[in-house]
Amino acid sequence: MRNRVREQRRQRGLSQAEVAVALGVSRQTVISIESGRYLPSLPLAFRIARFFDLPVEKLFDPDDEEAGT
Amino acid sequence: MRNFIPPRLRRPLLVALAGAVFAVAWVVRGGATWWISILVVVVTAVRVTVVYVRAGQDTDEGALAGSRADERLKLLAAQSWAVAGKVAIAAAFIGLTIAIAVRSSWLWPFALMIGVTLLGYLFGLSNYGVGAQDPADEQAGAEDGAPFPVS
Repeated sequence: MRNRVREQRRQRGLSQAEVAVALGVSRQTVISIESGRYLPSLPLAFRIARFFDLPVEKLFDPDDEEAGT
Repeated sequence: MRNFIPPRLRRPLLVALAGAVFAVAWVVRGGATWWISILVVVVTAVRVTVVYVRAGQDTDEGALAGSRADERLKLLAAQSWAVAGKVAIAAAFIGLTIAIAVRSSWLWPFALMIGVTLLGYLFGLSNYGVGAQDPADEQAGAEDGAPFPVS
């Protein structure tokens, strides 16, 4: 699943550590989410979406996965 | 009570407690090997220091040692414990099988390990909600996939 967390964070000029503090997770978790190695839980995905003020489907795109199946 | 202990101190205190209990066991045992308790205390002190220092680091290991794991780390820890449990029960099963084959009298620790692990697994299933499923919604049209109620 592709996501636009890194893109949105950079657009807002935020560091991974700042996003991590705002979301209440570790910096390593933000790195893992950005790189697609970790899929966040539904509550965390919504927290991220709210933080960036975007609908969750604008941040997380399942199309890549569907195309592969 | 756990909440009164700062997160960074929880894991080091647990290590210290385990080491102290182990050292006391060697003292209670007595005999010529009592000095092992001193060795246990020294090793425990080093281990407590290492865990405390690690708990202050901005890494995954640091977060686990400092009891500040987020959902990803909790998942990783749960998966790692699941692997550890499977390895432990496999080792116990192999030990029990060998003990039976060689007609040994020391098969009971392996049987005990298997029993305790299985009980722990059943406790986990019960604790995390297996068997406590909600009743199905009998209302027509409420089934998964129905686009609208069917009357």
